[in-house]
This record gives sequence, structure tokens and C-alpha cells, in this order.
Amino acid sequence: MAGVVLKSLKKSFGAVEVIKGIDLEVKAGEFCVFVGPSGCGKSTLLRIIAGLEQATAGEIWIDGREVTGAEPSDRGIAMVFQSYALYPHLTVRENIGFGLSLARLPKDQIRARVDAAAAALQLGPLMDRKPKALSGGQRQRVAIGRAIVRDPKVFLFDEPLSNLDAALRAQMRIELTDLHRRLGATMIYVTHDQIEAMTMADKIVVLNAGRIEQVGTPMQLYNHPATPFVAGFIGSPKMNLFTGETARALGCTTYGIRPEHLALSPTAGTWQGKVRHIEHLGADTVIYLDVPSLGELVARVAGEMAADRGDMLWASPMPGREFRFD
Amino acid sequence: MKQRPSPYPYWFVLPAAVVFVTLFLVPTVASFWFSMTRWDLFTAEFIGWDNYRQFFKEPFLVQGLVNTLIYAFVTSATKSVLGLLLAVLLTSGILWQGFLRSVVFFPVLVSTIGVGITFQALMHPTKGVINLALSWVGIDGPSWLSDPGLALYSVAFIDLWKGVGLATLIYIAGLAAISPDYYEAARIDGATRIQQFWRVTLPLVRPATVTVITLSLIGGLRSFDIIWATTRGGPGFSSDVLASVIYKQYQAGFYGLATAGNVILFLLIAIIILPLTWWFSSREVDL
Amino acid sequence: MTRNSLSVRQRNTGLIATAAAAVIFITPFLYIFFMAMKTKKEAALFLFSWPREWHFWSNLTEVIMARNYMLLLAYMNSTLITVGAVTLLILFGAMVGYILQRRPSGWNRLIYAGVLVGLMVPPAVVPTIWVLQGLHLFKTLQGMVLIQVAYGLAFSVLLYRSFIATIPRDLDEAAIIDGAKPLQIFVKVILPLLRPVTVTLIVVQSIAIFNDFTNPLYYLPGKENVTVQLTLFNFQSQFQSQFNLLFMNILLVTIPPLIVFVFFNRQIVAGMTAGAVKG
Repeated sequence: MAGVVLKSLKKSFGAVEVIKGIDLEVKAGEFCVFVGPSGCGKSTLLRIIAGLEQATAGEIWIDGREVTGAEPSDRGIAMVFQSYALYPHLTVRENIGFGLSLARLPKDQIRARVDAAAAALQLGPLMDRKPKALSGGQRQRVAIGRAIVRDPKVFLFDEPLSNLDAALRAQMRIELTDLHRRLGATMIYVTHDQIEAMTMADKIVVLNAGRIEQVGTPMQLYNHPATPFVAGFIGSPKMNLFTGETARALGCTTYGIRPEHLALSPTAGTWQGKVRHIEHLGADTVIYLDVPSLGELVARVAGEMAADRGDMLWASPMPGREFRFD
Repeated sequence: MKQRPSPYPYWFVLPAAVVFVTLFLVPTVASFWFSMTRWDLFTAEFIGWDNYRQFFKEPFLVQGLVNTLIYAFVTSATKSVLGLLLAVLLTSGILWQGFLRSVVFFPVLVSTIGVGITFQALMHPTKGVINLALSWVGIDGPSWLSDPGLALYSVAFIDLWKGVGLATLIYIAGLAAISPDYYEAARIDGATRIQQFWRVTLPLVRPATVTVITLSLIGGLRSFDIIWATTRGGPGFSSDVLASVIYKQYQAGFYGLATAGNVILFLLIAIIILPLTWWFSSREVDL
Repeated sequence: MTRNSLSVRQRNTGLIATAAAAVIFITPFLYIFFMAMKTKKEAALFLFSWPREWHFWSNLTEVIMARNYMLLLAYMNSTLITVGAVTLLILFGAMVGYILQRRPSGWNRLIYAGVLVGLMVPPAVVPTIWVLQGLHLFKTLQGMVLIQVAYGLAFSVLLYRSFIATIPRDLDEAAIIDGAKPLQIFVKVILPLLRPVTVTLIVVQSIAIFNDFTNPLYYLPGKENVTVQLTLFNFQSQFQSQFNLLFMNILLVTIPPLIVFVFFNRQIVAGMTAGAVKG
């Protein structure tokens, strides 16, 4: 089965260790997202799987075969780059067929495979254009086409949507999920955007400072974050997290409550605070409270909330939704 | 773990390195040894510092050294000053600006020998166009290339005529890199045109100035063909520079002496250019 | 600063500057042209004047036939040297610039030092002749080609290195994943993208090598090896009394750069000012 297995993988650049021992199994056909803040090592990890970087220690297995020392082109992978990395001097057709022509496949065979990939991505009318003459979304599709045509066991995506505008990004999220369903291939996708992770992933791997923080389905991570880091990283707005004296008073070292799990009332509740700032988003309202015993507390309530800056409000955690980390 | 070979193999450098090392570095290193020998290309007899001693003793060799310095400083200074002035003029939106730029630059691309011969004719003491033109306004023109006191400067002028276009071009690129915002800000602050030149243009065009001065100094110190095409170092040794002295010694079969001249030229360039580069970079303005 | 319309002052300055430039920079070229057309007698007067009789064809054929068609041989030799040297300079320069930019390591300091030395240090001529003799390359066109390569390499490497820095590395990596070998990455992906800077280098280096006088003077003596510049220099003493022919020769030497300049003005400017702004 076309899975990816990483065994105690490590990577150092000089004296700096950026990947500090990673064990992970990505199952065949899974859409796995590596997510984490910039500098957490997620891109490096992807590049090690691709073979663009060499691991300092550990093993990489793809489809039941050890590929730790193999050339990138011999690993059965394809990669879509953040910048798309389309060859500027080649047409769309030549871009997609570049790898096949390097492998010296017969011309008619290349043509057939390129056409098939192009059809899957509706690139037909663009085949003779150069990348410069394409829009961002079209370039993105060509980059994916170049990956598909290799018929890889594993697709690797390195922040592929970060150069697109918000509307196009939402559309491409759906297209990529569709593509995954159609091809049924294993996909590993790197992003710093937790929304992309939540919406697309079968499995999310949260990375922090070169280590895996937690692995799970999107809802597992949302409902049962293993660490304060994961709790703070998944969900928007960010979970309210309190440490030190405040948390100790609540019986733990870190106390967390999501903004959407706070109930607000003008009359009674757990904590009283003064409204410092209100954001009306239409569907819901985000309220920033100054609570003397906690500090800043962010709450999100559905619909429109009639409150003004300076008002005093009570906030109460919904039962069973509090997180206590030790 | 077995290291996979880099996609950027070092053998890419190999062909270039072989040519460069054999035909440039090896001779350069060897020159230090041969400069201390009496040498006929086949046998070299070690004679210590004799060649160098001769270089600093023989009056015509010393004059060559002094002339090299004068020539380099004169050409470099005039090229940088006139180059900047021409560049300012040719970026100020005057009539036929593009054509004028081409006219000023074209001599850079022309054969030095051709230019030398042409100016020999133009500078002819009695029949030359320059002196003919001067006589119309009542000036008795000098013997530009055959007056021992003047020859070196006349050649420097020809060099300036041929080379100022490159300085201008570099300055134009430097001026183009200055954002017009600075001039607008200066105008709002009430700076006159002259003040704008001294307070905005001159400091901000510094990288171009550094390039022009460095390039023209190196070029001036190594200058040979323009001198050889016009005066051949004459009259006497009055316009000889190191490079022409080296060639003369080579022609005369004094290979050790010629090579010593080469080493001196190398050291001269190093002593002048390295501190200059260091000085320029230490005063770099952070923009 | 927009310049859609010229002010009166700009127009006047323009006129004065144009007049001055015409006198200083164009007169010598007109002089060459007129002298080249004159009869032997009229040319000997050295005047800046309209030729009384035009002798273009007779002067041209006489110069070409002089010394048993030496000028034609010279043009052939100069062309061979220029084409050979520029080809190698492009290839070697691009390869070195590529490694220098893409693979930072201790070796690069060494390469950089070499480039700096190549830009600054005057060649040690007599020891170079000694090396050329040892390699049996002295007085040969091949030797001259390699000399021009050695002397022009530093400039090519610098120009290529700074241009390659603008080509994203992602392209190399995409090619690696597509299965390209190192040479294929270079030839199929990088080299085609270097076209603008390659055109610049071809133009600039061709002119420099075609115009070179000093190096052929040292390394390429001998009648059968003459180059265009050497011929011109030698004609100077031979045509002491035939200035019309001497100037016809100068005219012939000036025309190739003029043609190149007219067609490749932009590339020449790019090459000559490379690095000027960065310092």
C-alpha cells in the first residue's frame, strides 16, 4: 500500500537541529496535512520526504520500500511548489510533459498522458501558452497537472495556495479535495493556515519546533488537544489560555477555554469584565473583555450582540468545554 | 548515511578552472620567480633583487612609474567628473537625449588603435585640425604629441575622449536608481537645483562613483594600447608608462626585467585599489 | 519627474549640448570618413574637408588587396578568435556562475578570490608566453582563444552569477523531481533562461575581443596570424604616405562595432553598467 512511514527522522543544518526525531505513518490514500507556525520544520520535513533534503538520521519508507537514500525522481512522488515553479521558457504542454520527455517516453505516449492530465484539470485551451500568460489559479492547475502526469504514489504540496487571493483559495480547497477523492492517492500537504488544515485533512500533524505536537483528525484536535500549543493553534479566534497564578487558581498549570464556548450575560456569570473592543462579523460577534482576575478574555457569540465599549458583561465557560493542561 | 551527490557538481567549474589556472594564475605566480632572474625563456639565472633595483634606479624606468601614476589619476579624475556632469545633463530631459547618449558612448566601442591614429592626425602640430582651429582664434597650438612636457597629457585627453562615455553610462544607471521622491522631498524643503545636486545627487550616486573611479583607475594603471598607438612612449621616454616599458623590455629580450615590471604594476594596482576599496566600503551609507 | 514637454530652457541646453557633442564626439568620425574617401594627395593635407573626388571603391579595393589580401586574412583570424573565445566564455562563465550562486561552500571563497584576481590583476605577459610555449600554443589561434577566455572569464562569471540569483531555486527542484540529472537541469532549465544576459555578454565580449590589440601583439606574432587591430597598427608605418588607405582601414574597423551598437544598444548598456548601481 502506498503509505509513507517516517522512522526517527532527524535533520540538522550545521549545528542547528531543525527536525528532532519524527515518527509518523501516513496511510495509503490519506490526505495528511502538516501544520505549524513558520520555522517549525514542516517544509523541511516535506522536502526530506521528497528527497530534496537529506535526513541526518532516520528512515523514510514510501509504499513499503525504503527510499531514504533514493533520488527524488525514484521515490514515486510528485511535488507542487509554493511558487508553482513552472518552467518559464516552456509551454503548458511542455511543462506538464517535461518529466516524461526526460524519461524518454515515446512522443505519442507523452501526448496522450499530458492530454489526459490536462483534461482532468480543464487546461485544454491553455496548452500552448507560456506560464507568464496564465492567471494565478491557472498556474496552480498546471503545477498540479505536472504532478498528476507522473502518476505518483504520493503527492506533496508545499503551501500551494498561499499565493492566491482569499476567494480563489477557498475554491482551490474544494478542487483539491475533489481531486484527492477522484485519484485516491496519498497526499501530504504543508500549510501554516489552520483553516486549510481543518477543511481538507483526513489527518492533521501539528508540528512545533521540529517535533510532532499531536496527530489526529481535525475534530480530534479541536475537541481533544493534547497540549496547550495545539489548543492555541487549532481554532479561530484562538483559544483563551491562562497560565501561572490564574491557572493555578483554576486547578491546573494551563487553563483554556475557546471563545465560542463562553456564554455572555449582562447580569450573572463566572467572570465579570469590561468590554474593550467589539468585532461585528455578521454571522457572529467577537467580544474582547478585560477581566480583572484573568486579563484579556475573547468570546464569540452567534448573531448580533447588542453591547458597547465600556459595558460590563459576565462570561461563563460552557460545561464540559474547559481544558485543563498539566 | 550515504551522501547523495549534489545537483550542482563541482566538475562544472573544471573547464573554466583549468584554463584560468594554467593561463592566468600559473604565469602570475611564476612571475614572482622570473622577476628575480636573468631569463631568455629557456634558462633563468637567479639574480635576486637586481631587476627591481634597476627599475628604481634607471631614470627612464622611474619616469615610467611616475607617468603611470600621473596618467591613471588624471584620466580617472577627469572621467569621473566629466562623466557625472554629462550624465546629469543627459538625464535632465534635454532635446535629443537618446541620440546624445549614443554619441558620447560610441567611442568606447571603437578600436583604440583607430582612435589613436585618428588623433595623431588631428593633433598634428602644423597640419592637424585642432591647431588649425586654434589658429583661427589666434592661438598658436602646441605640438600635442611631440612636446615632451605635453605628450602624456595629450594621450590622457584622447583616453578621456574615448572612455568618458563608459563613465557617463555608469553614472546614468546610478542616477536612474535614485528615487525621484528624494528630489521632490528636497524641493519641498526648499533646496535649489545646485543644492539638490550637492545634497541629494552626489551622496546617492556614490555606488556609481565608486565603480567609475575603481574601473578607470585600474584601466589607467594598466593602459597600454592608446599610448602605443599614439606616441609609443615618446618623445624619448616622456610618455612611457609601466605597460609600455614592459613591452619595450620584452622586445629587447630583457624578459626578467619585463617580468619585474609586471610584478611592480601588479603591486601598484594592489596598493592603490585595495585600500581604496576598503575605504569606500567602510564609508558605505546604509540606504 | 515626468517629461512630456520640454521647457524652453531644456530645449536651449539641448541645442548647445548637441552642438558641443557634435563637435567633440562626431567630428573625429566624420574626419575618418572623409579621409577614407580622398585621394592620396588630398588626404596628405590632413584637412577636415569634403572630399573633392570620392574614391570609395578604389581605396577600398586597394586596402583589401594590400600586402596580398592581408586584411581579409586578418578579418578571418579575428572572427575565428572572437567566435571561439565568446562561445567558450558563455559556456564556462554560465557553468561557473551557476555553481557559484547555487552551491555556497568553502570552495566558493576560492572561486570568488579567483574572480577578483581576474578582474584586477594585470596578466604577467612574459611568463604567460613561457606557459604557452610549453603547451605549444604560442603563436596559435587556439592559444589566443584560450587567453581571451582566461582574461574574460571573471566578468562573465560575475554577470551570470548575479543573473542566476534571480532564477528561483524551485525550478531546479521541480526539475530534480521530474528526474533531471545535473547536466539536464543546467541545459534544459537554466541555460534557456539565461538568454538575455547571454546576448549581452556575446555583444560586449565580442567587441572587446575584436578590438583587442595588446594580447595579439604579445601572444600572436607572425604574418599568418595577423588580427584586424594588428594589421591596422602595422599599416600605420606602411601607409605613411597613403593616409587615405590608412583611414579606409580605420573605417572598416569601426563599422562592425557601429552595426552591433545600432542593433544591440540595450544589451551593451546592460552589460557595461552591470553591478554599477550595486557597487
